[in-house]
Amino acid sequence: MANGYDVVVIGSGAGGAPIANMLVKAGKNVLMLEKGPLFRTQDQTSGLSDFKRDELFATGPEKIIRVERAANWGESYYSSHVEPDLNDEPHIYRDADGRDRATLEGYTAQCVGGGTQLYGGVSLRFSPLDFRLKSFNENGAALRNDPNGDVKREARDWPITYDDLEPYYTLAEELVGISGTRQNQLKPASREVYQKPLPPNPISRFVEIGMDALGMPRYRTPLAVITEDHPPSGRTYPGGEAAKTGYVNRYGCPLGLKSSTWVALLAPIYGRPNFELRPNCTVTHLECDSSGNVTKVVYLDAGGQRREVSGKLIVVACSAIESVRLLKLSALESAEFDRRINQNDLLGKYFLTHCFGGAEAIMPGRYDKSLSVDSDWATDACATPDFIRSNGLWAGGAIYNNTSDQCLPISLARTHGSQDIDTIWKAFVEDTSLTGERLASFFDENFGTRLSVSFMANQVPLKTNRIELHPTVKDKWGRNVAYIIKEWHPHDQYLMDVFAEQCARVLRFGGDGGRGNYPVFEKGGVYQAENGLARIANHILGGARFGTDRNDSVLDPNCRAWEFDNLYVTDGSFMPTSGGANPTLTIQANSFRVADHLLSRL
Amino acid sequence: MGTALAPAVRRAFESGTVVQKDDTYVLNHTTKYLARANVDERHNYGQFPQGDPRARICESWRFPVIDGYYDPADPEESYHWNEVTFVYRTFDGTQPGSVSVVGTFAPLYQEIPLRRIGGTPYFAVTVMVPKGEVHTYRYVVDGRQELDPINPQTAVADNGRVWSRFFTHGCTQRLSFEPWEMDILERLTDHILPFRTVEGQRFLDRYYQQLDRAARESQYPIAYRFDESVGIANFIDKLVAREENHRLIDYKICLEIINRLLRMRNPFVEPRLMSKEMYIELYNQMASGNVPGWDYGAYQNPRFFLQLLRRHAITGAFAHPKYGGNAAASGWVYLSERYRDPETGATLFDWRRVQEPPLGTDQQYRG
Repeated sequence: MANGYDVVVIGSGAGGAPIANMLVKAGKNVLMLEKGPLFRTQDQTSGLSDFKRDELFATGPEKIIRVERAANWGESYYSSHVEPDLNDEPHIYRDADGRDRATLEGYTAQCVGGGTQLYGGVSLRFSPLDFRLKSFNENGAALRNDPNGDVKREARDWPITYDDLEPYYTLAEELVGISGTRQNQLKPASREVYQKPLPPNPISRFVEIGMDALGMPRYRTPLAVITEDHPPSGRTYPGGEAAKTGYVNRYGCPLGLKSSTWVALLAPIYGRPNFELRPNCTVTHLECDSSGNVTKVVYLDAGGQRREVSGKLIVVACSAIESVRLLKLSALESAEFDRRINQNDLLGKYFLTHCFGGAEAIMPGRYDKSLSVDSDWATDACATPDFIRSNGLWAGGAIYNNTSDQCLPISLARTHGSQDIDTIWKAFVEDTSLTGERLASFFDENFGTRLSVSFMANQVPLKTNRIELHPTVKDKWGRNVAYIIKEWHPHDQYLMDVFAEQCARVLRFGGDGGRGNYPVFEKGGVYQAENGLARIANHILGGARFGTDRNDSVLDPNCRAWEFDNLYVTDGSFMPTSGGANPTLTIQANSFRVADHLLSRL
Repeated sequence: MGTALAPAVRRAFESGTVVQKDDTYVLNHTTKYLARANVDERHNYGQFPQGDPRARICESWRFPVIDGYYDPADPEESYHWNEVTFVYRTFDGTQPGSVSVVGTFAPLYQEIPLRRIGGTPYFAVTVMVPKGEVHTYRYVVDGRQELDPINPQTAVADNGRVWSRFFTHGCTQRLSFEPWEMDILERLTDHILPFRTVEGQRFLDRYYQQLDRAARESQYPIAYRFDESVGIANFIDKLVAREENHRLIDYKICLEIINRLLRMRNPFVEPRLMSKEMYIELYNQMASGNVPGWDYGAYQNPRFFLQLLRRHAITGAFAHPKYGGNAAASGWVYLSERYRDPETGATLFDWRRVQEPPLGTDQQYRG
């Protein structure tokens, strides 16, 4: 089938894998190109997985930033074994002081499965309201901290409704393999496909008490972790609490119990004659003809040799920042591509992440937090129209607890005082008082005692928040790297304060049996962090939003680039608003929806 | 070279035996690091001389690739072994006709041919080597011997000849430091970690006493020097030999300064035998950045060195024992013994449950 592909999919994560899965099963010829390696589970090799339960895999040895003219030149960084190297392919962001800094933020993971190999697996749906925030806000009262009416002006309805996406949510949950509970979710499901969740970690009891005391209807956080045999992917569950390892967030699962797109959607079709997966291949650009057909996908193979391939339909799903970058780099290569992809000025604009943050406390007692998956309890109490309107907000979000964070000794130390990948180790090494007896006390106080509750909420879309090509910084192939320019709207800051307080209340009421006075020592939104402008939570969305108006969007409702006949973009970049929950399941559901559309064309 | 410090390995397998790995495995561990077009030295943090082609490559220390070994027919014996994957490529556009590797890990210095990975500039071969060992090797490229152009580690043989070098998991042979440097390093890290607190010391004494020789060999087949607290100095010795080689110079300069400074403060006692108080005083001075007698001309910032040492110490104490620290999992055991359910006595850090046997008890995970 050399060069006779029906579909070429670029990227094997949440945006690309569902399409390959559906189209291959329908008998179409699919080629998938993935920049990163194909890291396999134990069962897929002669015995050992490329993923390990090893804290130094998540945060590796020190390296030093050598990106020319970056303001953080000379600073240390510690990337995971599947993150790109910062000196080879940095993301650059413009900091509050106007200076450019290199960051690991905005990369998920470069390997087959993409970010779904490393994520915590929180697989929430967006609420029906998340799809129509423009309509919802049109007739509402004035919003807090939005004197110029930016929020109402910039809010957009999605071109599809929750009901349009619902069957695909269910399909995604079924094929990916999700465990959780449904009751008390604000997100109706047509069919029950969840596997049974594992028993919660005992420390999560405080979250139960807190949410109950506050009247927040709770449910077991849906996680992309199987807890039973999973026939659609052929995975078997070893039994007991095998999935609760503590090596969860930022670790690939050597047993394949975490439902990455590799084990759930790609491994089941791997080996079929109509599916070809080429890992370690970096797409450099796309070429098109004068009638708007992408005719060539140009890539560098595992040895760095230039290759070309073509297909009837082309799907770009490299994660929002890298997809926008690929399209912009393609526009640099040819005037025709440029004219078509930049038919309006929106490519890269309205880049989004989430408003996120939370609260943390040291709970009474001590618990073995290493016996955990990523999260136990979630609530939609802050996604109801009542909650949103009564707080003068434009949109809602989800609240859930984290169970596995800081559950291992090195991660406790290296995230002491910092939660993100750019500043890891920083506070611990500077806090030289933590030594000997004091270090013993630090562990006594913090190991197995800390509990955090997080929120994930919609960020206001702003045209000025955008992805560009950096004018001077080049990757190891000589291609301009992505340049992230974004800031938080005052309403975002207000929203984060409101949500952080809700998270804190859960702990305050949970910690003292419902009286509401338990001390909470950390609380806040990400905008308050020292590097708050860089922080992305690995949720990279927008920049190529879809819509019904070609003048107001980059993609049509089927995620096809308006001026192209066969070019689709299906990672998180299609989102006009970022939703009030972790985005992966919605990206997957949308890709299943687009797959149906692609099938109708083949 | 090549001395096995590990408890007697039952040589059911033979070192240097070739293991068949598919091309994808090799490329998975190669492309990200070696495929590139840049000629700028973006990966030099001071560990390479200017112009060294390794400075263009990402994480050249990863080569040869050291990985676990697993034979379903003999999992127990497998645990004593590593797979070592040699990867060769040129960076000048030339393509050699044949590449093989010759080294101390194989019998009688036999040449082991590397195979061309289809359609790429890479040559590779994977061989079995016992854990806990150090070896030297050279490539034979079209009949001529040369050093590994990727791996920066080298060793000088008795006859003055330079060889490329690698070491396998759980290695305890000194590679970076002199014995006196190790001594000071141990004393310094002792003070950072909680193991030399009164309780910590009691734990270590009890823990090491109860480990009889048989248990050491079966449960902790990776070798350790049991006179060390938790193997931190050994961990750092390996880390600066490989992953963080750019930090070796910091240690060399600062340990020298500290040695001189301690001897100045007390000319009558060897630094390794000096009182805990001497080290605590030094530590506090380093934390403040103001150390009387410090050679600021040689090393500007003693506080920076202390910070480096703290990161390395805590990592070495709690990283998987294959990295050479956390000896006999003593760091993990310290936590699992210290933190127990007050009612049931059950541990509140059950690390064994999810680690591979024989270190842990997970019946699925193989490491």
